[in-house]
Amino acid sequence: MKKLIELDINGRIYEVAIDARDLLIDVIRNKVGLTGSKKGCGDGDCGACTVLIDGKPELSCIKLAIASQGKKITTIEGLVQESGQLHPIQQAYVDHGAVQCGFCTPGMILSSKALLDRNPNPTEQYIKHELSGNICRCTGYKRIIEAVEAAAKVWSKEGV
Amino acid sequence: MFLNHFEYFAPKTPAETLELVARLGSKAKILAGGTDLMVVMKAKAISPDYLIDINGVEEFKGIFCEPGKGAVIGTNTKLAEIQFSEAIQEKYPALAYAAGEVGSSQVRHMASLGGNSCNASPAAETPTPLVALGAKVVLSSISGERELPLEEFILGVRVLDLAEGEMLTKFILPEPKLKSACRYAYMGRRDAMEIDCVNMAVTIELENDGETVKNIELVMGSVYPRPLASKEVTALLLGQKLSDQLIEKAAEAAQGEAKPIDDIRASAEYRREIVKVLACRLIKEAYAAAKGV
Ligand SMILES: Cc1cc2nc3c(=O)[nH]c(=O)nc-3n(C[C@H](O)[C@H](O)[C@H](O)COP(=O)(O)OP(=O)(O)OC[C@H]3O[C@@H](n4cnc5c(N)ncnc54)[C@H](O)[C@@H]3O)c2cc1C
Ligand code: FES
Ligand code: FES
Repeated sequence: MKKLIELDINGRIYEVAIDARDLLIDVIRNKVGLTGSKKGCGDGDCGACTVLIDGKPELSCIKLAIASQGKKITTIEGLVQESGQLHPIQQAYVDHGAVQCGFCTPGMILSSKALLDRNPNPTEQYIKHELSGNICRCTGYKRIIEAVEAAAKVWSKEGV
Repeated sequence: MFLNHFEYFAPKTPAETLELVARLGSKAKILAGGTDLMVVMKAKAISPDYLIDINGVEEFKGIFCEPGKGAVIGTNTKLAEIQFSEAIQEKYPALAYAAGEVGSSQVRHMASLGGNSCNASPAAETPTPLVALGAKVVLSSISGERELPLEEFILGVRVLDLAEGEMLTKFILPEPKLKSACRYAYMGRRDAMEIDCVNMAVTIELENDGETVKNIELVMGSVYPRPLASKEVTALLLGQKLSDQLIEKAAEAAQGEAKPIDDIRASAEYRREIVKVLACRLIKEAYAAAKGV
């Protein structure tokens, strides 16, 4: 039986009719129409579906939409600033060539944001450890780590 | 891939939760982080009629850690919270470390400490150090509570000493003894997103002389259907001052007790070798740490 629920995504309230069994990734992509978040493995392994829930990185492919009511959900679409400018982490990814096909990028950037929110002065080891749940099959990780390090520098200067 | 249809409940209090657990019985599953449950439901390995989501119950979350009084950790405390908790890092570094090695950052922000034990996978990360630290679990139902050492709660692969109508609500960790230390280590093919092929934790407590072993607990994961606390290591090392030779002998004894299997992650033979390597390393590390060097 369908049920009407409200989801707070990127600060906007969406009313969606869902089944209890619907997964958050499918609702975000197919019902809300925000297709930045990707579905890769669907099993929690690849991180492509990462979204922030109350600021924490979670896997929307193993999360029920119904269990996400009343929380602040942030997807990659929510990072762009009001002026239309890219978020500093997005900019750092572009500047450092950390995006090739882009499939992993939304999840990778949200995980980067979560790790920088917790620790704005990360070591390389810490970045690797906290990003290990995001798999990239084409860029390779070197440029991604460089981008996060560069974003961290902007971060500690300006605070984002 | 669709999940089966189920009815979803999101209780707000422990009393409401326990009432649902009692009423819905074995047709219901508790949903904590869902990092195990959603994956097995997607694979259609289980198809519960009801899900009881406990994430809205504040009382099931949190770390209560007072100086001198051990710690109480709510079942639905997320592993990331344990990984980054300064109180846990200081008092139970082996647990903070193990929690931080589970899956990935995303998994750790979803997964709960209770789910890791209730899932009863032999390869689970945190039950091993929890057993070595002497943790107890509190099992609650509408008719009351009981306490059990974690070691007696996990009985085998996916088997718990949990009656119908009961759920795990918290962990109780004793205050670490003076002159004691606990260390944890694991071996897998890569660091992240890996299921351990062997994990192990060692707690050593020393006599007042700061050298003689007063108590030692060596616990192995992934080499037995449940966390395995070695009897022989304790028997060999109790009352002893440790030397490299003695440590090696104890590590060989642990090897003898382990009953590893061959699977896609490693062969039994390799696992048995790793038991010895980790046992030597951890006994030395815990001994040095207990001595304060
Ligand atoms: C990509 C990925 C990587 C992983 N890597 C690791 C790893 O490296 N190491 C590791 O140990 N695990 C790993 N796991 C497994 C899993 O994340 C952990 O076991 C986790 O701690 C489970 O907690 P949860 O809160 O998500 O449990 P859930 O999935 O919510 O629950 C697990 C089971 O326990 C039951 N349950 C939960 N809470 C209670 C309770 N309070 N009382 C009674 N029953 C309860 C549920 O009904 C269910 O049957 C991984 C999982 C994924 C998806
Ligand atoms: S799609 Fe969610 S982790 Fe791969
Ligand atoms: S950019 Fe293609 S998978 Fe990472």
